[in-house]
Amino acid sequence: MTIAETPHMEPRPEHPAAQAWRVFRTRPAALFGLLLLVVIGVVSIIGPSVYAVDPFEIVWAPLTAPFQTPTAPLGTDYLGRDILAGLIIGGRATLLVGLTAALITVSIGIFIGAFSGYYQGWVDDVFMRITEFFQVLPPLLFAMVLVTLFSPSLVVIALSIGIVSWPATARLARAEFMRIRGLEYVSAGRSIGARNGRLIWRVILPNALAPLIVSATLTIGIAILFEAGLSFLGLSDPNVMSWGLMIGGGRQYILDAWWVVTLPGVMIFMTVLGVSLVGDGLNDAFNPKLRDR
Amino acid sequence: MIKLSRLLTGSALIASIFMSTALFAQEPVKGGTLVIGSTQKPRHLNPAVQSGIATAVPGAQIFATPLRFDAEWNPQPYLAESWKVSDDGKSITLQLRAGAKFHDGKPITSRDVAFSVKTVKENHPFKTMFAPVSSVDTPDDLTAIINFESAHPAALLAMSSALLPILPEHIYGDGQDPKSHPANNNTVGSGPFMLSEFKPGEHIILKKNPDYFIDGQPYLDRIIIKNYKDVTSLVLATDKGEVDMAPFMTSTRDLARLKKNDDLEITNKGYAAVGPVNWLAFNTKHDILKDKKVRQAIAYAIDRDFIVNALHGGFSSPVTGPIVSGSPFAAPDVNTYALDLDKANALLDEAGYPVGDDGTRFTLKLDYIPGFAEMQKTVAEYLRPQLKKAGINVELRASPDFPTWAKRVGGHDFDMSMDIVFNWGDPVIGVHRTYLCNNIRPGVIWSNTQSYCNEKVDALLEQAGVETDKAKRAEFYRQAQALIVDDAPLAFINELPYHTIYNKKVGNAPVTIWGTMAPLDDVYKAQ
Repeated sequence: MTIAETPHMEPRPEHPAAQAWRVFRTRPAALFGLLLLVVIGVVSIIGPSVYAVDPFEIVWAPLTAPFQTPTAPLGTDYLGRDILAGLIIGGRATLLVGLTAALITVSIGIFIGAFSGYYQGWVDDVFMRITEFFQVLPPLLFAMVLVTLFSPSLVVIALSIGIVSWPATARLARAEFMRIRGLEYVSAGRSIGARNGRLIWRVILPNALAPLIVSATLTIGIAILFEAGLSFLGLSDPNVMSWGLMIGGGRQYILDAWWVVTLPGVMIFMTVLGVSLVGDGLNDAFNPKLRDR
Repeated sequence: MIKLSRLLTGSALIASIFMSTALFAQEPVKGGTLVIGSTQKPRHLNPAVQSGIATAVPGAQIFATPLRFDAEWNPQPYLAESWKVSDDGKSITLQLRAGAKFHDGKPITSRDVAFSVKTVKENHPFKTMFAPVSSVDTPDDLTAIINFESAHPAALLAMSSALLPILPEHIYGDGQDPKSHPANNNTVGSGPFMLSEFKPGEHIILKKNPDYFIDGQPYLDRIIIKNYKDVTSLVLATDKGEVDMAPFMTSTRDLARLKKNDDLEITNKGYAAVGPVNWLAFNTKHDILKDKKVRQAIAYAIDRDFIVNALHGGFSSPVTGPIVSGSPFAAPDVNTYALDLDKANALLDEAGYPVGDDGTRFTLKLDYIPGFAEMQKTVAEYLRPQLKKAGINVELRASPDFPTWAKRVGGHDFDMSMDIVFNWGDPVIGVHRTYLCNNIRPGVIWSNTQSYCNEKVDALLEQAGVETDKAKRAEFYRQAQALIVDDAPLAFINELPYHTIYNKKVGNAPVTIWGTMAPLDDVYKAQ
């Protein structure tokens, strides 16, 4: 008699990203948000080569309403520049500023939060006092001061937004690090001689990443709104077309020409909505309680 | 013959005035309060040591000046009953009104005039107004003789509006610095209105001077100058009827909207002496812009009609030379640089800047004054695609605030900049400063920041400044302007669309060359 031995196969553990996606795709709102972002991203990247109109070119009479002329299908701004061309190419600068600012926010936030949460003691005290200092400054005002000091260019605007908005991420990262550093697998790592650097960046950080990714996503939306706010106040780079610049320049014509401000405003709204929906979806996706249902 | 024609135009003028009064208004009404809305906030109220609209509007009500000007640039008696310019132009004799008093009841004498001339000469930022004054003689209480080192025809205009306020020597002569004198916020003048309350940044309340030296005037009991934080709120207040008069309005979209309000009148009269010019300035020391052909090419590439009609809704008007068209010294026959892109491109080719592979010849930075979008930022944004048609790549350089811009342009750290400079009535006061070689003063804004220097222009301006014959003077200015326009240190663009918006109830709205910067003693408000 032969015993047919069927070896017991351990199922290969599902990759966390795949697990997350499994939850994410069951959320219609999140999928809608993702779709919005993909469309906006694709239009921003390849749109300008399809609709090749210089957004700074004066193409028609100033303040022409939408659907009046095929030359400028969505109307013109106060100079007679094509709004559609501006909307298509303006996403590049706006998204770039949003992404860069979010990256800066998350980088500073994780760095400060990681050291504070891991080392605690005087390191934590010093870093948290610094964080509180930045936290009590009114963010928009502080960003305005920075942009005013260093002249409005995309780099300065992205840096300013990053510099004023990292404290929340830092606090979040610190809380995660404080929680995880006491867990058994960290002690295990330490007992086999892992150094602090390895523990922070290779052991704790990957396990703290889920909430940070959610927060980073939402930060992109906040950064885009920030950029729009600064532009509304006239603090934007006049040489780069962005949705914010369109709003800032068209602001004083709002009573006479709604489309000049409304159309780029709708684009910003859609982008931020997309980012928020995706953020919400990620939050659910990374939530272990929801994952195994 | 000249006399006869003058008489004829004079009588025609009188007839037209009578007709307009017959058409519009009844007898002036006495009493009432006129509310003037303004976004300009004065630091103090002494125009002897401070230029600018904010101080000049209340200043012209509080302080009387020796002369005033009508709408046709003719001097009229005011505190001086009569005046006489000597044949060589080197002295002006003022005969003051007898019985004129300061608001504190003390009589006005020729010594106050002498003191005021000295104070203005030493402290006012417009140095050229009284720089040639050598002495002021006071043979009796009512006669002042102002002596000049050389003939100085600009002096008559410099004795009007808020430029030569007659200060009470018994208050200002106490040895304190007039720029920071406590009386600057608690003024004692001799004009039609006296200060009742001054809350900086909020309002200025002026009340009728009961002892005003012109009998029966002023008609109004009070003038309130109310400060608004921005143009939008001022426009809304005007639309709602909260203010009776809003001078110095330039926002063309707002003007177009307020024009539809049946209760309001809107006029661009009253700004001839201000002569506000919006221009594109070149740094003539810049490597590329030092070539006259490049500057001329840029001037040819600008479509002033588009700016004036499309961007400014037809409210502003094109400017083609240093002196605005409303001035008797304007030179309308100089080269106007009418739009000609072919010529612009040809000039740039000639200058040795061929179009490169990327379709451009070179890149220039363009500055503009922040916070004055329609005249400055919008025109700068227009120039970017427009100059590209001549192969010039323009990079806008935004300034976060006025001091930053002033530091860049004043410090000659710029390629091109949009700028706004006022003529201020006589060319000696507001025009010479932009072109004289010896007024290239780094660090000083609205000096010759273009570093432009042409000795022929200097000589002509100098001759014009001392020429007492008006026709000859105009000819010197014409020649100087022809040279300046050809050298093109600036590309002239447009006159600011200054407008006064006022309620139809307001009678005798100020339309002389100085507008609201002149005494409002004949303004009244119908009930």
